[in-house]
Amino acid sequence: MSRRNKEELPHSLLHAILLVATLVTVYPILWVLTIALSGKQSLAIADLPATPAVSDRLRAVIPWPESISLANFRSLFTDQPFTRWLINSAIVAAATTLLGIFLAATAGYAFSRFRFPARRVGLMSFLVSQMFPGVLTLIPLYIIVVKWLGLGSTRTGLVLVYTTTAIPFCVWMLKGYFDTIPRDLEEAALMEGASPLTIFRRIVLPLAKPAIAVTALFSFMTGWNEFILAATFMDKENMYTAPVGLRFFVGGFSQQWGYFAAGAIIVSIPIVALFFFLQRYLVSGLTAGSVKG
Amino acid sequence: MKSAPSHRLRFGIGLALALALGIGLDVLLLAGARAADARVRAERQAIVTLNALTDVVVGAGISGDPVRTAVAAWSKSHPSLAAIRVIVFDGISLEASTDPKDSGDRAAPRRLSREEKDAYDRGQRLRASVETNRQEGAARKEEIEVGAADRGALDLAAPLEKDGEVAGMLEIRTATPPPPAPIPVTTALLYFFAPLAVYAAAAPLLGERRAPLAVAASLLLAVVLFLFARQTLRILDADRVETDRQVAARVGQETGLAGGLVAPGAAAVNPAKWDTDVFRHPRPGAAATPPGGAERRGRNVFFGVAIGAFALLAFFGLGLAARLGATLSRHRVAYLYIVPAMLAMIVLVFFPFLYGVAISFTQQTIYNTGQPLSHLWVGLQNYGHILGDFAVAKRAPDGSLAFNYLNFYWTLLFTIVWTVSNVTIGVTVGLLLALILNTAGLKLRPIYRVLLILPWAMPNYITALIWKGMFHRQFGVINQVIQIFGGQPISWFDKPFTSFLTALSTNGWLSFPFMMVISLGALQSIPGEIYEAARVEGASRWQQFRAITLPSLKPSLIPAIIISVVWTFNMFNIIFLVTGGEPGGSTEILITQAYKFAFERYRYGYAAAYSVIIFLILLAYGTVQNRVTRATEGL
Repeated sequence: MSRRNKEELPHSLLHAILLVATLVTVYPILWVLTIALSGKQSLAIADLPATPAVSDRLRAVIPWPESISLANFRSLFTDQPFTRWLINSAIVAAATTLLGIFLAATAGYAFSRFRFPARRVGLMSFLVSQMFPGVLTLIPLYIIVVKWLGLGSTRTGLVLVYTTTAIPFCVWMLKGYFDTIPRDLEEAALMEGASPLTIFRRIVLPLAKPAIAVTALFSFMTGWNEFILAATFMDKENMYTAPVGLRFFVGGFSQQWGYFAAGAIIVSIPIVALFFFLQRYLVSGLTAGSVKG
Repeated sequence: MKSAPSHRLRFGIGLALALALGIGLDVLLLAGARAADARVRAERQAIVTLNALTDVVVGAGISGDPVRTAVAAWSKSHPSLAAIRVIVFDGISLEASTDPKDSGDRAAPRRLSREEKDAYDRGQRLRASVETNRQEGAARKEEIEVGAADRGALDLAAPLEKDGEVAGMLEIRTATPPPPAPIPVTTALLYFFAPLAVYAAAAPLLGERRAPLAVAASLLLAVVLFLFARQTLRILDADRVETDRQVAARVGQETGLAGGLVAPGAAAVNPAKWDTDVFRHPRPGAAATPPGGAERRGRNVFFGVAIGAFALLAFFGLGLAARLGATLSRHRVAYLYIVPAMLAMIVLVFFPFLYGVAISFTQQTIYNTGQPLSHLWVGLQNYGHILGDFAVAKRAPDGSLAFNYLNFYWTLLFTIVWTVSNVTIGVTVGLLLALILNTAGLKLRPIYRVLLILPWAMPNYITALIWKGMFHRQFGVINQVIQIFGGQPISWFDKPFTSFLTALSTNGWLSFPFMMVISLGALQSIPGEIYEAARVEGASRWQQFRAITLPSLKPSLIPAIIISVVWTFNMFNIIFLVTGGEPGGSTEILITQAYKFAFERYRYGYAAAYSVIIFLILLAYGTVQNRVTRATEGL
């Protein structure tokens, strides 16, 4: 069954191309690891002498620290408010997930099972809202959340905003899944005299577990990775989320690259793991037509 | 139908609610307007007194015993003043004071104490304002400061001049004003119940016929609202006349008093110049003010309220409310499930969107968010400024082109270049790698695949910051590599083109895996037999690619390209964190530019208009995209 013939390119050439591509891909990640393990705040891998030779420069490019130290990780958790930021991020992301799932599951169920006036309008409005550019709603949201509701620099404010960002995608996703669950079970339960709420809680939700899990992980990633809204709403340093905090290390005139690198690794590990777990759902879900700004 | 709906009852309820809305709002507006008028009246009277006393104190020579005598006499005849203070800059002294706090060992004259620095600063501020206004020959800065003291009292300050220089300051604090006029509850109730009684009496005569009932209810509502509005406007008008009368009376009273206190011929006491605004410009007399502006605005407001009331009447009277209620109760389970999510979306997505569109028609900035939008309304001005400014580039004196990077069309052009080049790179690299990875029998494929997907998995703000570090001029790895090959280090963020390259490589790095995964999925679904058949027919590799691979990729690649165009167009984090628009805003894309107008230049109205334009561009793109997708599906 081998498809190789004389027209095929030699595998050595393909390996060479792949190797270069992989090197370019992996290098920035190795770079971050190197800086994180260097124990220093500099963004140079090695200190250069005043008149560096080519070998010195080569040393400064190879992603391996001059001396391995965990000092950056240690002081990240002891001297820096990073623990606090991580906790903020975790709370915000978890609350976003819970609230988002609750709202999306109920709404998705109604859209899937009931026929009522304005159903199509409601569904379409969720879709259209994905087209609003984030910046346009950012100004009014800032006025509403910070000035009117007084929720600036609070986790509650951020959770509310993130939840509404995640809802439309989650509603569509769950509605689609509910549609695939056969109605026979529900009808049988209805005959037995079960209330709609019982049916929803006891029958539909357990059956929809896989979809709910994916939606939950998606909401969690939204909350965990978001940067602009958090940077706009969180003014106080102790209320930063992890993304805003990481930016704080290397933004403006601050040059604490060691802390940034160590923090970046800690923040990325769970998200990269989640990503590989979720990959195939992401591809199908994202190409389904979300146009979020 | 068993229980026919009672038109009589519906119009009755509609009329009651419409009256409650109309009269209630009118009463609230009246109370607000009267309070505002009372404030204006108190301020004008206080300014008259302040200006008169300024003339007196200046006439008495600003400092010394004559001033203290004059101030004491003035205070005695003015129960409406809680305190008078005269401060002279020369020696930083409190020359005279009737403030109860300045008694005993703190009695005037004395040097100002350290805690009273605020008062001294206030004086210096006034001096600066007067000097600026004189130099510019204009009234740009306020020469009288009006502040609020406790419980509605006013705290005013004016500069004292001697020999053409501001040499001191006069402060007065008014006594607590009388309580505001009460809300006319009885009148309002009368206006509310009288028409209802008339309706209740007349409705049985009209029977259960819809048209006559509607006419009767509308007529009653119109008449009552008109009468009430007219009465309200009259009250406000009377208030204004009364204000002018009281101010004139105050001027007369102060004239007599000042004449007695100032030695004849010592200085000019000029009552004609007492009724001024805070720039010390005389107010036009009552006769000269046309009743236009304020009155017309008042009438418009009442008109708006009336429209709202009529809408309410129609809503209930025509049975729309009943039908809505019936629908809601029939599908109450469904609505109950949807309400929480819908409510959240309305409050935090749809309302902000509409509010943002509204802001785009105003000149709102961070400094005037407190004002209602209607006061800041500028119509399409923001759009005109954004879209009507074609001055992208200017010829500098030496003949070179100088670009205006804040210009909309520059940013639009840059965004398009940015999007096209990124998507091209993403598709090319992704497709190429997918084709290689799809080679049968290639070793280590899974490992390559996992490593090549990594950039997609990383949070993109982290990617952006990493690349920013790697492009650092002095310590960045990329400049080290350039130097290894004997090149000169590059200041990446100093030139638009190199700055663009940094963002492009960052985004290229993180966006090709998406295209690769999509292409790989599509490639793997092509059955091998087709290629076998093609080879048997003698098709070359290129022909196979053209005839088999590309068409099979199309259904998944085109949606992927469409979505990644939108992603790149909106790729806020990369631009914001890598180039930050450097140099000089040349590498901003539309949404980062809109963000900077809002949160760095604080021009909310302008930024909102900018965002609406972005939205319209995306909307147009979405529509075209829909057409294209449908067209390609047809193939």
